Amino acid sequence: MARKLLKQNEKVREERAEMTDIGAPHHELSPAALNRIAAQGESKLKPDRQIHDGQYKAALPGKLIRSEGDTETGIADADTAYDAAGQVFSLFADEYGRNSLDDDGMPLVATVHHRRNYNNAFWDGKQMAYGTGDGKLFRTFLELSVVGHEMAHGVIQYSGGLLYENQSGALNESIADVFGSLTLQRGLALEAHEADWLVGRGILGPDINGAALRSMKAPGTAYSDDLLGQDPQPWHMDHFVVTTDDNGGVHINSGIPNHAFYLFATYLGGKAWEIPGRIWYHALQSLNNPMASFSDWADQTIKSANELTGNGSSEAVMLRRAWKLVGIAI
Amino acid sequence: MIIEIAAKGGFGGFAATGLHKTIDVDRQAAPIRQELSDAFKPDELARLSREPCGNCPDRMTYHITVTDEARHSRSFTLHEHQLPPETLDLIDQM
Ligand SMILES: [Zn+2]
Repeated sequence: MARKLLKQNEKVREERAEMTDIGAPHHELSPAALNRIAAQGESKLKPDRQIHDGQYKAALPGKLIRSEGDTETGIADADTAYDAAGQVFSLFADEYGRNSLDDDGMPLVATVHHRRNYNNAFWDGKQMAYGTGDGKLFRTFLELSVVGHEMAHGVIQYSGGLLYENQSGALNESIADVFGSLTLQRGLALEAHEADWLVGRGILGPDINGAALRSMKAPGTAYSDDLLGQDPQPWHMDHFVVTTDDNGGVHINSGIPNHAFYLFATYLGGKAWEIPGRIWYHALQSLNNPMASFSDWADQTIKSANELTGNGSSEAVMLRRAWKLVGIAI
Repeated sequence: MIIEIAAKGGFGGFAATGLHKTIDVDRQAAPIRQELSDAFKPDELARLSREPCGNCPDRMTYHITVTDEARHSRSFTLHEHQLPPETLDLIDQM
């Protein structure tokens, strides 16, 4: 216990040193949040994972096949869902001090083998569900950025929510992509310039011409395929798509805030789940506006940067620059 | 009775999801025929389509057209969570 706490303290010190290196003030997180992370540490916050087999049916959650602490089931999707849920839990717990999706230790319930040839994954308000894909359009949904994305929808829901249509819906999608990508980058220990910034890399079918579902680095370039068409994501407000499809283009226009986050993290360099991730997480906790527009959100992230890294910090300046580059002046 | 079902949306937000089915109910075996007729009764689909959505990220949308013997068609747009699991299983099974 003592050794783990020591390790945690060392980690906090290292983080502070890293931030000092790039010119950030020392109060990168509020004292309360820092104390909370230090007090809880990696040893105290533990996930309670409950993985179910949907047996290719639609009823949820299905048959419980792996609970917290159980050994591997030998069912690849179930074991991946278990491991990935642990990594997502760890991102939110160890980096942001959050105890599960509701910040109150709720069990992480997931169902694999949901329906037959099902080309989708989702968060239903209480749990995650993953199809296997039909082998043509999709080969799997058990990929870390996808799992992180779905679980982040749960975090967003319990953080006041963002109405799932038009700009607030696209923000919901974007924030889910951000934490999905951050889970993967942290899992692979990649710095911002080393990461590919793809969401759902390798999940498309073998004959689909595409690398992933979305690209935060270059929205609109993730795939170009006869069956799927061209990745429709814009990266700039000039190309904002007005549509009634997809709940008002929530998976389309999310490209704009996605790219702003990418630019910000790349300007700062280093580990994107640290300062950029903390700023995004803190903004989500303080937003309190389920109908937020892109501009409202950008404003909230700047406030969050000022609070965490100091008024007029280089981080806040870089962040304003990132938003401006995607056409959102604040 | 003919049932046409097309799905779109989901985590990828795609217009094409690989799901497009046309079911000629009269050509199905008797037990399935009854199940399909009950599950896709136009009045029932209309009722389900009025159920509230709430917060349902990444769910698919189903466009369902039911054409009766008199060639009278009715179309409905339903979110995935508005359809009972038994109906979704029927869709997958066909
Ligand atoms: Zn989503």
